[in-house]
Amino acid sequence: MEDGKILLEVKDLEVVYQTDESTVHAVNHIDFSLKERETIGLVGETGAGKTTTALTIMRLLPERTGRILDGSVLFRGENLLDKSEAEMRHVRGADISIIFQDPMTALNPAITVGNQVLESLEIHNVEKKSKQELEKRVDALFNLVGIPAERKKEYPHQFSGGMKQRIVIAIALACQPALLIADEPTTALDVTIQAQVLKLMENLKEELGTSMIMITHDLGVVAETCDKVAVMYAGEIVEYGTTEDIFTGEAHHPYTTGLFNAIPNLDEKAERLHPIDGLMPDPTNLPEGCKFSPRCPYCTEECRSRTPYRYEKNGHRIFCNRFEKEG
Amino acid sequence: MGKFVLKRLLALIPTILIIVFVVYFIMDLTPSDPGHLILGQMASDEAVAAKNAELGYNDPFIVRYVRYIWALCHGDLGTSWMTGKSVFESVMARFPVTITLAAGSVVLGVVFGILLGVLAAVKQYTFWDIAGTTLAMILASFPAFWIGMMLIIVFSLKLGWLPSYGTGSISHYILPWITTAGGFVASQLRMTRTSLLESIRMDYVRTARAKGQKESIVIFRHALRNALMPVITIVGMNFGTMLGGTVTIETVFTLNGVGTLLLTSIRSKDVPVVVGCIVILAVCYTLVMLVVDILYGFIDPQIKARYLKR
Repeated sequence: MEDGKILLEVKDLEVVYQTDESTVHAVNHIDFSLKERETIGLVGETGAGKTTTALTIMRLLPERTGRILDGSVLFRGENLLDKSEAEMRHVRGADISIIFQDPMTALNPAITVGNQVLESLEIHNVEKKSKQELEKRVDALFNLVGIPAERKKEYPHQFSGGMKQRIVIAIALACQPALLIADEPTTALDVTIQAQVLKLMENLKEELGTSMIMITHDLGVVAETCDKVAVMYAGEIVEYGTTEDIFTGEAHHPYTTGLFNAIPNLDEKAERLHPIDGLMPDPTNLPEGCKFSPRCPYCTEECRSRTPYRYEKNGHRIFCNRFEKEG
Repeated sequence: MGKFVLKRLLALIPTILIIVFVVYFIMDLTPSDPGHLILGQMASDEAVAAKNAELGYNDPFIVRYVRYIWALCHGDLGTSWMTGKSVFESVMARFPVTITLAAGSVVLGVVFGILLGVLAAVKQYTFWDIAGTTLAMILASFPAFWIGMMLIIVFSLKLGWLPSYGTGSISHYILPWITTAGGFVASQLRMTRTSLLESIRMDYVRTARAKGQKESIVIFRHALRNALMPVITIVGMNFGTMLGGTVTIETVFTLNGVGTLLLTSIRSKDVPVVVGCIVILAVCYTLVMLVVDILYGFIDPQIKARYLKR
């Protein structure tokens, strides 16, 4: 895994949502990279900018409000942000696919599921395969995700949530993309189905050699699937490292520590959960200095006034003033 | 599906029974004297009374109602008191005019209303959107008869391109079509715009874009299809209204449609014609609604499944 080629590199990315009334700073200068066959987890609470990051990579930000102010997204060395809309259409679905959060609404209710998978294949049918060959591929994809191929003539409302998510996965994998973005793929599913779907994605990823960006707020999912983790807070990556760094490393950003403390521990008899105090700052009006400072138990005067120092040890990066002084 | 259609057609029977009852009852509440209508104002009282007795007009309401229904079952809508002609024939003589007028303007309304609505939704808040919604507002605000008269002044009187009255050829219908289509374009445009704006924000539209699909296909295949439901409802209702409610247009363009016939019959208390017109219009209206329901099935597989199950 160490010597894999770099597939995706996000550099200094800044994205805002601009409306007449206000500017939402959704993603603020984030960097991360992903090698082939690798999985990176983007972790953080709702509103941290995870989905915005994903949509930016796909260039699917809402047209009227979404603005990419700065940075680059290098995919196989080419900057996706410089590509024209027509060029992007060849990337979407073929090289980079995305699985959206809610399988209930991600499928068109008026089209059979088979035709929705077929659509993907037809769009990127560079080899000019015949309709029969494509239909065969659809059958194969249905088998791959564990749905009997004869059900392809049915409509989305005839499937359960977990089944729908499998179909969404089949659509995403139809053209064997190099990169799969999974935007909270299991959040809308119930727990028993979550494990199934995760297992399926993991297997398929291994089989097809796909790289993956796993967006989630579930640290359990991260531990199970990811090689690398980027912890996001208020549009910034506050901690970045391998899964081992994040789960077992010594030094942590106070936010990461808070996230782990918020998970209830089975071995310990506790009256209450331990949430992180306070709320995510208003993204239209972010605090100066460290964005986490208003909620941070270790906050100092320095944290409030300047951007935090970067602490780095063997690729494990933490943006926090505590460690600069220590290490 | 065939079963569903058959059931809906059978449901027509009670519908017609109720409609005839209501119309018959209301017409009965106002005093009328068919003997006078048929024999003229100069007829003697004895002759009138004899005629009324012959028509069975002196029988109780319920007897006349049952007799009417019985005749209706045999396809007999009765005879006009005023003209002595068969009601069915007098309605059918005018029906082609009404249907041509209704169908033409509904088609115009659908085509332009939906296209402009899509344009307004896709280019929301741009020139096209503002131009489209403003046009809709203007078309909806001016009364149809006024638009009709203005069109006659411009295209018949000043330019002499199109005839201003009559039903001789297709060109006779162009101005009436445009006049009535104006309101339809307005309502269909607004409905398409609103509904499409909603479906464009749906996740499956984003899924289609994420597949790398062309924007035009994303809009028409994925977003518009799911947005058509309320649009079709409006189209059906417009068509229904057109069947009996175009008296003003018929008057402006001197078209002999069912609307005018109905109006004159009500005025002269020609009960058989009034009831006959309403029965035929009601049947047409329910048929249009049946078509609308079948179209729902084509748009929404969930509804189709329900049809098939029944």
